[in-house]
Amino acid sequence: MAFISLKNVAVNFPIYGAGAASLKKTLAASVTGGRFGKETGVTVVQALSDVNIELKSGDRLGLVGHNGAGKSTLLRTLAGVYEPSAGEFTRQGTVASLIDPSLGIEMDATGIENIMLRGLVMGMSKKQLDKLTPEICEFSGLGEYVNMPVRTYSTGMMMRLAFSISTSVEADILLMDEWLSVGDAEFTEKAEKRMRDVVSKSGILVLASHSPELIAKECNRVIHLEHGRIVEQ
Amino acid sequence: MSQVHSNLHRSALSDWWEGTRRTDIWWTLAWFDIVLRYRRSMLGPLWLTLSMGAMIGGMGPLYSSLFGTELSKFFPHLALGIIFWGFFSSVVTDACNAFVGSSNYLKQGYFPISLFVWRSIARNLIQFAHQIVLYIPVALWAGISLSWSVLLVLPAFAILVINAHALGLLLGLICTRYRDVTQIVTSVMQMLMFLTPVFWLPESLPGRAQYILWNPFAQMLDLLRTPLMGGVAELHSWLGILAWTVVCLAASTALFSKYRRRVVYWL
Repeated sequence: MAFISLKNVAVNFPIYGAGAASLKKTLAASVTGGRFGKETGVTVVQALSDVNIELKSGDRLGLVGHNGAGKSTLLRTLAGVYEPSAGEFTRQGTVASLIDPSLGIEMDATGIENIMLRGLVMGMSKKQLDKLTPEICEFSGLGEYVNMPVRTYSTGMMMRLAFSISTSVEADILLMDEWLSVGDAEFTEKAEKRMRDVVSKSGILVLASHSPELIAKECNRVIHLEHGRIVEQ
Repeated sequence: MSQVHSNLHRSALSDWWEGTRRTDIWWTLAWFDIVLRYRRSMLGPLWLTLSMGAMIGGMGPLYSSLFGTELSKFFPHLALGIIFWGFFSSVVTDACNAFVGSSNYLKQGYFPISLFVWRSIARNLIQFAHQIVLYIPVALWAGISLSWSVLLVLPAFAILVINAHALGLLLGLICTRYRDVTQIVTSVMQMLMFLTPVFWLPESLPGRAQYILWNPFAQMLDLLRTPLMGGVAELHSWLGILAWTVVCLAASTALFSKYRRRVVYWL
């Protein structure tokens, strides 16, 4: 049984420029009684404020909004990356985040090794991975290339690998930033089917997208974000 | 599998344990750090052994004649000194980068940060294992005879790992927030190398300078090196290190429980 609940959640980013993060300025500010304090006064960006969301199994939530409206921040907060600066966040169920599948790829490691690394980091055990690896290799369609370092791959091949790894976990909660579509015509078809599968197995889907058609097709609830606030449920 | 992941309510201790428990993750990450670094070289991690061997072999005869000490007495002292110091200093400087260097993971999902401190310690342990083997030929050549007291090196090593972890959390957090601290730590470690009997013999210190043997690195080195050379470490080293460990643990517990979830905002 998966659920997510956000109550009055706010996420504020302190932006430490090169200046503000330096110890020198903080020290200078403290020994001079704060006269230079203004310089270290950290700019705070309110990425999310006053967000209230309740999600339970079966919910398919679409997030829409302009660039910088807070969609990705909200996804990351749901993934547990950012602890809310204020408010209450409760989450139950396992989470798979397809926010940026290529982020953890090690260029010098081979395809197989990347499957191992990513799989472990996504919370699988070595035993589970031993079983899953042939299936992931097969799905990626990389053939002999899985034993080659990823830096020798083309962009498309790398995306295929990343996609195959991150969609191999089953989770109660699925977080996505745009629909993943990769590769040539043949692979796209396979990928599309796999995405359907993963989505239908998950209890809760949260999908951020700029495409109204996609949201209309996949989601049964929509939240419109603007400047970090929910303007429309 | 399902559990409440309310990050606001998970206690610091269970957060820490969650990161510590996943040995498979941090050990594999550390292993790949080493493997990938040497992937395209023929000798691989053996370079760690070779370059350390060259340094010890080169410095041994020179420094023993500079200090006017017998080589068979000085060589094991120097070998262990350099190997252990290399370990101390890379553990400390790596700790500064523990979170910054793992930001690609930390920004992706929720990870207990202790995981990445263990990763950096494990990476250094693997390096250390490649280097400590050099001591075997040195000890055989110098004809060092060991007694049962050599076993005291085990608790000493355990204390070292505890300190490395506590200091790693502490420095990792501070250096992520204040990027200058990394530079400070690097230069302090360089200075400490000369204040610690890595190269020189502690007994050649004049009486009034003995207090510099009270620096924690000198004490830790004494606890690890002396038993391996067939001696018994000073009592003040044990007491000093225990006190230091308590301080270190207290400070890192305080910072960890307060800021463990803030780190991502600082990356």
